[in-house]
Amino acid sequence: MIGGVYAVISIGLTLVFGVMGIVNFAQAEFLMLGMFVAYYAWAWLGLDPLITAPLAFAVVFVFGMAVHHLMIRRVLKAPEVAQVFLTVGLLIVLENAALLMFGSGFKSVATSYQTSALHLGPLFISVPYLAAFLMSVACGAVLWLFLERSWFGRAMRATAQNPMAAKLMGIDSDRMHRIAFALGVGLTAFGGAVILPYLTVSPTVGDQFVVLMFTVVVLGGLGSVAGAVVGGLAVGIIQSISGLLFPIQMQNLVLFVVFIGVLAIRPEGLLGRAR
Amino acid sequence: MKPSLKYTLIALALALAIALPFGLEPRGYATRILCLVLLFAAMAQAWNIVGGLANQMSLGHAAFFGIGAYGSTILLVKYGISPWLGLLPGMAAGGVAAWLISLPTMRLRGHYFALATLAFGEVMRLVANTWGGLTGGPSGISVPFSKPGLAVFQFKEMRPYYFLMLAALLMVTAIFAGIRHSKLGYRLRAIRENPAAAEAIGVDTTRTKIIAAVISGALMAGLGTFYAQFQFFFDPDTVFSIPAISVRVAMIAIVGGVGTTIGPIVGALFLIPIEELANQTFSDQAAGLSQLVFGLLLIVVILAEPRGLLEIGRRLWRWRGRT
Amino acid sequence: MTTQRKAGIGRRSTLKFGVAGALAAPFLSHRAQAADSVNVGVILPLSGANAQFGINARNGIQLAADQVNAAGGIKSLGGAKINLIVADSTSTPTTAVNVAQRLLTQNDVVAILGAFVSTLTIAISEVTERRGIPLLTMSFADQITGRGFENIFQVVAKASVIGKAQFDDTLAIAAASGQKLERIAIMYEDTAYGTSQAGGLRTGAKNANVQVVMDEAYPLGITDITPLINKLRSSGAQAVFPVSYLNDSLLIIRAMRQQGITIPAIGGAAGYVIPDFAKGLGEYAEGVLSINLSNYDLAPSLTKAFSDRFGYFMVHEALEHAVCMSVLAQAIENAKSTDPDKLRAALHAGKFTNGWCAAMTGGAVQFDNTGLNTLSVPVMVQWRNNELVTVWPADVAKAKPVWKS
Repeated sequence: MIGGVYAVISIGLTLVFGVMGIVNFAQAEFLMLGMFVAYYAWAWLGLDPLITAPLAFAVVFVFGMAVHHLMIRRVLKAPEVAQVFLTVGLLIVLENAALLMFGSGFKSVATSYQTSALHLGPLFISVPYLAAFLMSVACGAVLWLFLERSWFGRAMRATAQNPMAAKLMGIDSDRMHRIAFALGVGLTAFGGAVILPYLTVSPTVGDQFVVLMFTVVVLGGLGSVAGAVVGGLAVGIIQSISGLLFPIQMQNLVLFVVFIGVLAIRPEGLLGRAR
Repeated sequence: MKPSLKYTLIALALALAIALPFGLEPRGYATRILCLVLLFAAMAQAWNIVGGLANQMSLGHAAFFGIGAYGSTILLVKYGISPWLGLLPGMAAGGVAAWLISLPTMRLRGHYFALATLAFGEVMRLVANTWGGLTGGPSGISVPFSKPGLAVFQFKEMRPYYFLMLAALLMVTAIFAGIRHSKLGYRLRAIRENPAAAEAIGVDTTRTKIIAAVISGALMAGLGTFYAQFQFFFDPDTVFSIPAISVRVAMIAIVGGVGTTIGPIVGALFLIPIEELANQTFSDQAAGLSQLVFGLLLIVVILAEPRGLLEIGRRLWRWRGRT
Repeated sequence: MTTQRKAGIGRRSTLKFGVAGALAAPFLSHRAQAADSVNVGVILPLSGANAQFGINARNGIQLAADQVNAAGGIKSLGGAKINLIVADSTSTPTTAVNVAQRLLTQNDVVAILGAFVSTLTIAISEVTERRGIPLLTMSFADQITGRGFENIFQVVAKASVIGKAQFDDTLAIAAASGQKLERIAIMYEDTAYGTSQAGGLRTGAKNANVQVVMDEAYPLGITDITPLINKLRSSGAQAVFPVSYLNDSLLIIRAMRQQGITIPAIGGAAGYVIPDFAKGLGEYAEGVLSINLSNYDLAPSLTKAFSDRFGYFMVHEALEHAVCMSVLAQAIENAKSTDPDKLRAALHAGKFTNGWCAAMTGGAVQFDNTGLNTLSVPVMVQWRNNELVTVWPADVAKAKPVWKS
C-alpha cells in the first residue's frame, strides 16, 4: 500500500524523463514544497492536507512552469553532465531557500484520523496510509485519463515518442516540455501533501526520498508511467519483505542492491522501452 | 597557446604553489583551505579519468574514497600498520571495487550509469554503517593520536599537509595527462567520439573503460587515506557522502572543465574558497544562506557555459587575443 | 609579435596573482581581540537536519553570556565582556573543522563551545586538542572522553551511562508501581547517538537479567515505520525503549497508538524531550516517559528567563550549553587570565557552582581528568499537560511517575 504512494511521488520523475530526457535530481525538493504548501494551508486555514493536495499540485505546477522556462529549457541541448548539475544546483537552492523561509524545525499536522486504524482481522490498516493510498490511486486515474484521452496528453506522448514528427504536426515542443515538467513536479507535490498526515515536514525531508524515487522509476522503467506504478508497488513489497527477513536497518541496502541488479540486467526496467 | 608559453605558465604556477604556504601562518586557516583545495582538486582529477576521458559520469566515487580511508585507518588501528603502507592495500581495494561495479554497469548509458554508481556509493555507506565491528559503525573511527612526524603521517601544523597534498595532486595530474596522451587515452577518445567505429576497428570498449575506472578508483582510494590522516576522525556519513564527496568532486571537474587536464584544478580553486567565503560571510546571519548562494552560483555558471570555467577562460583568451 | 607575447604573459600572470590575492585576503585578515573583551567561539549546526537543536543551544549560550556581561563581565580581567563568535558547523565534519580552524586563527577565541552532534564535536576536538584550546560540549558519545584528551570538557554523563540509566530508572519505576519488567524492546536510529545509547540500554538489561525480545536499528530517514511496529507487536515486550530524533519519534508513537499498542514507551531524549513532540502528538504525548540529561524544572528560577525571552521551555541542550558558558566564564575568572594553559588548569581544578551550574543535576559541575563531569546524573522525565516533569530519581523528582502497564 505504501507502494501506491511511492508511485505517485515518482510518476513525476518518470514523466519528466520520458518527455524531456532529463533526470531531475531536484525532484524530491518539489515533494518538500508540496508538503509545505499543504502544511501552511492546514496551519492558516485549518484545511486537511488531503483536501489541499490539489492546491499543492496547482501551486507547484505554476512554480514548475517558471523553473522550466528560466532554467531547464536552456540545458536541453547541453551535455548530459551540465543537465545533471543544473538540477543538482536547483536541489541546493530549493532546500536552502526553504530553510531560510520556513526555518529548520520539523512541522507536523495534527489531524483527527492520524492515529486511527482499521482492524481487519489480524491486520491493522493505518488510516492515514489508506487515505494517502486512495488519493494516490485517484490521482493516478486522473493522470491516466489525461494522458490517454485529452489532446494535451496525446501531444505530450507524441513529443516523447518522436519529437521531430510531433513538431511537424504543429505541436510546440517547448510548450509540451514546460507542461510535462510542471505536471511532473506538481504530481510529486501532490504526493507530498497526501503523506503529510503521517510524516513531518522540514526543508531536508526531500533527502529521505531521493534514492527511493530513483529506485522506483528505474525498476519500473524510466519514461513509463505505468512503470512507475509497478515500480512503486515493487519497492513497497521489497521493503516489507526485507523488513521481515533482515534487520530493518538494512532495508535500504537490500533495495539498492536490487536497484543495481536491475540496472545491470535490464536497465529499461520492467516496463520501459529501451531508449 | 604556444608550448613554450604553456610551460612558462606551468612553471610559474608551480613556483607560486610551492612558495605560497611560506607566506601564510603555518597552522592557519588559509593553509587548511588550500590543503582542501589541493585534495579536492586531486580527487576531481581522479574522477576526471572516468568522467572525462571515459565519458561515464560517476556519482558514486565516494565509495572508493571511503574504502581507502577506512582501509588504511582500520589497518592502523587494529594492526598498527603505518598509513604509508596502508595506502597500498587501500588503493588495491579501491581498484577492485571499481572493477566490481564496472563489470555490470560500464555498458550503461549516461543517466543509468550515474544512478547505478549513486546506488553503489550508498551501498558502501550502509555497509560501513552496519558492519560496526570492523568500521566502528556510525560512531566513526579515529586515527590514534600520536606525536607528529612524516613516518606516522600526522602533523600538528598545516604546512606539511599542504606539500603532501600538492605532491598528490601533481602525481594524479601526471597520471591523468599520461593516460590522456597514451594509447589508452587514444582508445578512450575513439570510444567517446564514436563507439561503433571504435568497436569496428577492434577496440574493446567495455574493457577499456573498465581499465580507466580501476585506475580512477585506486587513486581515489589513495586520496581517502590522505583525508583520514588530515582530518583524524571520520564516519561513514562523511567519507561515503553523496553531496559532500561524490557530487562535489564531479561538480569540481565539470565546473572547471571536464576532460581537460587543468579543469579540476581550476574548478577546485574556484569552488572551495568561494564556498568557504560564503560560509564565513553568511552563516551566522541566516541558516542556509551560504549554501543558497553557493547553489545559485553553480546554476549561473552552468547556464552561462555548460562546458565549465575553463571554456569561459578560453573564450576570454581568444577574445583578448583578437583585440 | 614578441612585444605582444610579453604583454600577454604580464597581463595573465597579473590577473592570476590579483585574483589569488583577492581570494586570499579574507583568509589572511586577523580580527584581533579588543582589550576589554574575551572572544568565545560557538560552533553549532545552524543549517541542515539538526538546525533546530543548534538554534536552541545558541539561545542558551546567548542568554548565559548576556547575563555574565550584564553582571559586569569577567571581573578578574577588569570587567572584560564575553564576545560570542557564532558560526554554523553545517552537518559535515570537514566544514566543522574548517570553521574551528577559522575561529582559532582569525578570531583568537579562548575556547570553543559546541557542537551538539557527537561526530562534529569529535572532529573539532582533534583540532582543539592539537592547539591546546579548551572545547566544552554536551555531546555525549563515549569516545569524546575516551581518548585521553586534555582539552575536552563534557558537562553531561556519557552515552552508555545515559542508556543504562534509561533502563535502570525504568525498572525502578515499574517496580514501584508493582510491575516486574521481564521483556523489553529496544529500537534506535542508526547514527552514533542511537547506536551508543542502545549499547547502554543493553548493558542495563543484561545486568538485570531482563530479556531483550526485540533489538532493532532503523535508518534515521525512515519513511515507513510499519514493519518496525509490526515487529514490536509480535515481540510481546512489556515496555519499549525507542531512541529517536523528532521525525521518527512521532512516527513511532503514532503508529503504536494506531495499532493499539499501549505498553509504556520510554524515550532516549532528543526527539522525545522537545516542545515539537508534544505539539505533534497532542494528547498522545501525555504520559510518555523519557530519559533526559537535565531538565528545566530542576531550576525554574533560572530557566524561566529562557522561556520568557524565547517563548518555549528551556530544552536540555539549551540548558547544558548555558552551563558550558557559565563554567567557562567562571574558569576564566578563576584563572585570572585567558592563557590556554592556565585556563585548562582552572577547568580541571574547579568545582563550579555559580550561574547555570546550579541547574545541572548534582548542583555543580566538576570534571575528572578525562574531561567528564562526574556530578551529572541523568533524570527521568514525563510529559504532563505539555510540560516535562522530572519524576526520577526521587530526591530531585517534582512529581511521582505515572506508570501505565
